[in-house]
Amino acid sequence: MGESLADVTLRLLEGFGVNCVIFAVTLLCSLPLGLGVAFCSMSRFRPVRYISKTFVWIIRGTPLILQIIVIYYVGGLVFGLPPIERLDAVLIAFTINYAAYFSEIYRGGIESISKGQYEAGQVLGMTRPQIFFRVILLQVVKRIVPPMSNEIITLVKDTALARIIANKEILMVAQEYISTKVLIWPLFYSGLFFLVFCGGLTLLFGAAERRLSYFRA
Amino acid sequence: MPILEVKNIHKSFGGVEVLKGVGFSLERGRSLALIGSSGSGKTTLLRCLNFLEKPDAGAISVNGELLFDAADAGTHTESGVRKKRLHFGLVFQNFNLFPQYTALGNVTLARELLARDEDGFKTDKAQAIGRIRDEAEEILARVGLADKMGSYPHELSGGQQQRVAIARALALKPDILCFDEPTSALDPELSGEVLAAIRGLAERDTTMVIATHEMGFAREVSSHIIFLADGVVLEEGAPDRVLTNPQTERLRSFLGAVL
Repeated sequence: MGESLADVTLRLLEGFGVNCVIFAVTLLCSLPLGLGVAFCSMSRFRPVRYISKTFVWIIRGTPLILQIIVIYYVGGLVFGLPPIERLDAVLIAFTINYAAYFSEIYRGGIESISKGQYEAGQVLGMTRPQIFFRVILLQVVKRIVPPMSNEIITLVKDTALARIIANKEILMVAQEYISTKVLIWPLFYSGLFFLVFCGGLTLLFGAAERRLSYFRA
Repeated sequence: MPILEVKNIHKSFGGVEVLKGVGFSLERGRSLALIGSSGSGKTTLLRCLNFLEKPDAGAISVNGELLFDAADAGTHTESGVRKKRLHFGLVFQNFNLFPQYTALGNVTLARELLARDEDGFKTDKAQAIGRIRDEAEEILARVGLADKMGSYPHELSGGQQQRVAIARALALKPDILCFDEPTSALDPELSGEVLAAIRGLAERDTTMVIATHEMGFAREVSSHIIFLADGVVLEEGAPDRVLTNPQTERLRSFLGAVL
């Protein structure tokens, strides 16, 4: 068929490397950023709360593709700045987008812990940080593992959107085989990369759930 | 001198005044029972004592030291309140154990965190932790849980969980131990073991304030009973007098309903 399996595998792997970078950087940046946004959304200070909730509304309410395009072009076209790297634009857009989603998961988890847990810590003379880190946090983690794993698995597949501003990620590579070599199978083959990656993640999250099953919260 | 003096506590939520000037005093080693129907203010009063609510008016003193005075903002600082709380312990109606810690872990956690602030903790850390652990084991054994120290809350019955909660409060050696309807979330057959544990504390002259619907228990364990109704002390006195010879119609009908 003109292309050996080994050649295609190598080229697809190269593309998937881009997907993996987007996945890893997005997770690394948006997990802590999302926690910050969650605290802002729960702030007792009303303006902070409103700004945070508006941010989440806009980010969750518009397509990720749109956000990628806007971030890539807005600096140059509106502010006359030098163009940014295609990959950087994607990383920024993904981090912001996923921070918004993660923040809602964190918020749900934190707010689901009963007031009695805080009060029990308080009457035992614990400080607020002690109560949060020693009592609340692990219960929150246990509760958010299922929704987090859902969102993180979505992220794996969303990384393919990077191609919208011509990042050479795996789907773009696979699709080139159609136009240049009239080959369809590399496209199916690229799906296998995602399947395997998500399968690994599923196992990982299952292990995390089992690891936290020694208590009920 | 009484160990605890509570004066003229007022507390409103929104526009509703739940406590309308409640006061009492308690001698060391004695127990006070708070009775009254739901909504009479028992829980709010206990929460005020433990600084979970801030009274709108009134004062609280322990051992002659003024801990809280609504008129004196200097007594309201957060760091100060945290230390003052340690004069009191509170056992909740629904236990509020920390689910990710074992029974023993629940009892030692706060004690260990407090020990970190003490002088010399770092120099013989292992020893200090060992001491805390030994004490916790002794307290758990005292409430009948010697064989449940390594169990997590969800592995324990309600009665056992509540006894862990009692042990957890005792571990900090509070001057006054408060109970907010400790058996109301329990089946009747499980409340017996909790009441027995509290009775054991009374025999060791633990100073306690107990909100309860168990009149027989209140009579047996307390030296003084306060009947709260609509946020005021409507009647008070020795248990036998209050329970057998109520002076007000409100208390008569309340006792008729619960006995």
